[in-house]
Amino acid sequence: MNMKKVLVAAVTLAAMLMASVAQADKVIKLGYTLPLTGSHAQYGELFRNSAKMQLEEFNKSGKLKGATVEIQFEDSKSDPKEAINIARKFVDDEQIVGVLGDFTSTVSMACGRVYAMEGMPQLSQTASHPDFTKVGKYQFRNITTQAFEGPFVAKWAKSLDFSKFAIIAIQNDWGISAAENFAEAIKGLGGEVTGIEYFNPGNRDFRSILTKVVREKPQAIYLCMMYEEGAMVLQQRHQLGIDVPVFGTSSLYSPKLLELAGDAANGMYLSTTFMPDSPEEHVVHFVTEYEKRYNSAPSMFAAQAYDAVGIMLDAVAKVGPEVTRDSLRDALAATKDYPGVTGSTTFDPETREPVKGLARMQVVNGAYKLVK
Amino acid sequence: MDTYYLMQVINGLSVGMIYALIAIGFTLIFGVLNVVNFAHGEMYTLGAFAGLVCINAFGSPLAIVILVALAGGAIAGIGLERIAFKPFRRFQDEASLKSRAMREATLLSSLAVSIIIKELIQHFFGAEMQTIPGQYLLNNPIPVGPLSLSSGQFLILGSSILMLGGLQYVLYHTRTGLSIRAISNNPLGAKYVGLSVDKTIIATFAVGSMLGGAAGIMVGLYYGAIFPSMGFAPSIKAFVAMVMGGLSSIPGAVICALILGVCEALATNYLTQGWSDMVAYSFLIITLIFFPQGIFGARRERV
Repeated sequence: MNMKKVLVAAVTLAAMLMASVAQADKVIKLGYTLPLTGSHAQYGELFRNSAKMQLEEFNKSGKLKGATVEIQFEDSKSDPKEAINIARKFVDDEQIVGVLGDFTSTVSMACGRVYAMEGMPQLSQTASHPDFTKVGKYQFRNITTQAFEGPFVAKWAKSLDFSKFAIIAIQNDWGISAAENFAEAIKGLGGEVTGIEYFNPGNRDFRSILTKVVREKPQAIYLCMMYEEGAMVLQQRHQLGIDVPVFGTSSLYSPKLLELAGDAANGMYLSTTFMPDSPEEHVVHFVTEYEKRYNSAPSMFAAQAYDAVGIMLDAVAKVGPEVTRDSLRDALAATKDYPGVTGSTTFDPETREPVKGLARMQVVNGAYKLVK
Repeated sequence: MDTYYLMQVINGLSVGMIYALIAIGFTLIFGVLNVVNFAHGEMYTLGAFAGLVCINAFGSPLAIVILVALAGGAIAGIGLERIAFKPFRRFQDEASLKSRAMREATLLSSLAVSIIIKELIQHFFGAEMQTIPGQYLLNNPIPVGPLSLSSGQFLILGSSILMLGGLQYVLYHTRTGLSIRAISNNPLGAKYVGLSVDKTIIATFAVGSMLGGAAGIMVGLYYGAIFPSMGFAPSIKAFVAMVMGGLSSIPGAVICALILGVCEALATNYLTQGWSDMVAYSFLIITLIFFPQGIFGARRERV
């Protein structure tokens, strides 16, 4: 009896082994939580498009020998509760070694707690809240926070001989961190900040703020706000006859700003991560391929997801087919100079914050132009 | 004196003038009906969008655009009266006219109409700010000595004076004005001596909303910002100005609107702009505590 049982077990085991050998490649699974329905569905759609494209290219490239990667997309509806349920599902699925997403910081942080607790590496393409990577040591993001952008613009401004700045910023978490990071950086470089003016979200009249900030005779003004307010500031600056140059955060990059502000936008300097008409080869490839597949020009969001998926796949390739959640986390943390379409990315191994190469841009004759 | 303060006063006056333009229509309707018309901010938005459509579709000159906004405001005002106010004036007896419930009902119905209008505009035009062709922007700098003024400031100042003057003329030198004042003074009495209350109320709405619509397009072109919820913030300030001015005094509302604008601009010097709404609200509280009748009010008995 006993012998027979052992024999059956041995035969079954052998059969299973044979089967797995016959099945040429191992399958490694990644999860992607993203809003595919609901109010943010348009963004989720872009992320999925980019992810599919990046994944297909990766599996064809043969960077990972002996395994293929699959991505399982789950619709979080941009709802933290949904995302947490998805997170539990992903964590319970032993085949899944890493997770991408979610879209907003709020949702990414909510499901991030589950991933951090269960030791699942999570890489968000867009969560830019300062606390996202503080959720746990498994959180990564592929978007610059103001802690990197502020000093970048400060250095650039300094190299152009601007060192005395006035700052106008929107009064929310993001605006405050943008203003403070820039102020610190410019002071660190021996510059001076004449004042930081915060305004309420929804404000449309910047005349009294502008009148006040130029009183201290700054050499330039740094704007930390979204493009709609940016357009208003630029126009009212023109109307008040103030010809102090303007620098801005990458959030001012939108064709709509040029439409709204018209000529008043000319001369503005700003940093950017993604320029669709950049002449760099991999950007050209991404843009043409994306347009061919999906019949639309890729936006900054599509590019963010394309790179996030690329970084994740790169880390998988580095570890090899026997990847585990922990080895993938360590590989992600060791990401160095990933050549993405949104610039080159390096993760700080300690804080897991991305140190990204930003590009410089200036508005010339009513169009955004890359500055060499 | 530093020209800085002068410049801030000018900035403040131009903001105050905008509050005043809206407050005029607000006050007029309050004076006649004794209810706050919460949809007045939407009359302002509708005027702006009517002007915008006129710019984008026909490329008409500015004067025509303003006329279209005036007409758009008037039509919207008459429609508003029909939908949100008339159904609550079915009963004309003394008890109903004095009933609080009736007044509160129109308050809520006007709020409902304002939400519906905002959502409809958003549905058809989208929530984003509309792009305005550059040549229509009232934004050309006009340097006056060390100061910098703009074409929009002159237009808004000029038309406010014109509107205020015109309104005072209508109110004190025409029959319609006489009936508006009569009804605002004593609706029942006016009715008993044979005035048509309904017609007068419709006329009031047409005039008040017309002014709101014109304000909308001028401010829209001055700021370069036309979007569905543009009416909310300035109409809150206009409301404060109206309360400060004594609810039904038009010159009072205008003067208080200007005071409000200038104080906000000067406050920027001491507080960040994030706090400047506090200026308006503290004025409101101070007025309510120390001048319950408003600074320029207290001349008549309320219904």
